[in-house]
Amino acid sequence: MLIKTQIIVGALSIILLLFTLEMIRKGRLREEYAILWLFTGTAVLVFSLWPEFFLSKFFSKVTGIFYLSTIVLICFFFLLLIVLHFSVVISKLTGQNKDLAQRHALLELEFKEFKKNRLSLDKPSE
Amino acid sequence: MESEKKTLVIIPAFNEEGSIRRVIEAVKVTLPQCAILVVNDGSTDQTSEEAKRASAVVLDLPINLGIGGAVQVGYQYACQKGYHIAIQVDGDGQHDPKEISKLIEVLERGEADMVIGSRFIGESRYKGSGMRRIGISILAQAISIMTGQKVTDPTSGFRASNRKAIQLFAHNYPQDYPEPEVLVLLSRCGLKMREVPATVYQREYGESSITKIRAIYYMTKVLLAIFVTSVRRKPKGGGIGG
Repeated sequence: MLIKTQIIVGALSIILLLFTLEMIRKGRLREEYAILWLFTGTAVLVFSLWPEFFLSKFFSKVTGIFYLSTIVLICFFFLLLIVLHFSVVISKLTGQNKDLAQRHALLELEFKEFKKNRLSLDKPSE
Repeated sequence: MESEKKTLVIIPAFNEEGSIRRVIEAVKVTLPQCAILVVNDGSTDQTSEEAKRASAVVLDLPINLGIGGAVQVGYQYACQKGYHIAIQVDGDGQHDPKEISKLIEVLERGEADMVIGSRFIGESRYKGSGMRRIGISILAQAISIMTGQKVTDPTSGFRASNRKAIQLFAHNYPQDYPEPEVLVLLSRCGLKMREVPATVYQREYGESSITKIRAIYYMTKVLLAIFVTSVRRKPKGGGIGG
């Protein structure tokens, strides 16, 4: 039973890793997120290769975790933290985006007026 | 002209090609000495062209920011160009420009830093739908308690601000549904607010930015937002508002 799970999780983690690498290669992922996802992919791959480790007495003794479902819960909180982090990042970007749009509009108006004044000044000399 | 205070009328407009020209012309007739700034909030129709044809100054935002970002860039312009008074009028023809002078009078007497045209006081009785009135009165109650000042129409977009308020808004202005939040922000910064009676007409063209489906979301969000504004650190004057 375990071997099937191992194969599925292992394959998924390899796909995740390859996908991450492809994104990095295309330059679609910033370094900080690239590291995060490479780390996540590697961690899942390791888990799938040595699942016995999580079922061993040593691991249970060290961490106090006796059920595999606890690990799922920990993963869930890890993902929750990532999503929260993204919300913070998006909020910040929205604010910066707004500031840029406003600055852009003000500068454009200023520039148009400047150009109009220059043209009306230049005309008589031509 | 030297002694007269420089006044700017800010008209935020999003897809208001049908009414923008009439609004501009109405303001021009009643207040010929005022400069008019139309903030085109990324409209997809001819709003910008129509406003330019009516010879208003037009600020074109490259993307749609929503009413908060659009009004704020108007205040930034007013701040930059050294205007003493900024009037905010909706682009859909709901407000009567003849009443602008009433707002300015209160400002010039120094009784307040911002004056709001309220449709719920005085002889001008607004006949809105029952639900909307209840919603607005709940907001008004909440804001009155938070600011310690009686507010009747917190969602009114008909406002006049003096230099002090303009400078505050240029650096710090709430987004999404800013009108009620601004009142809490003002009282947090120690600025004074007053309401005067004003008439509000039914919309001539286009749709109100608040549809019935969004009403509950709106109420929840605004109540939360005014609460957040009142517990947030007091905003400083400088820096870029976010």
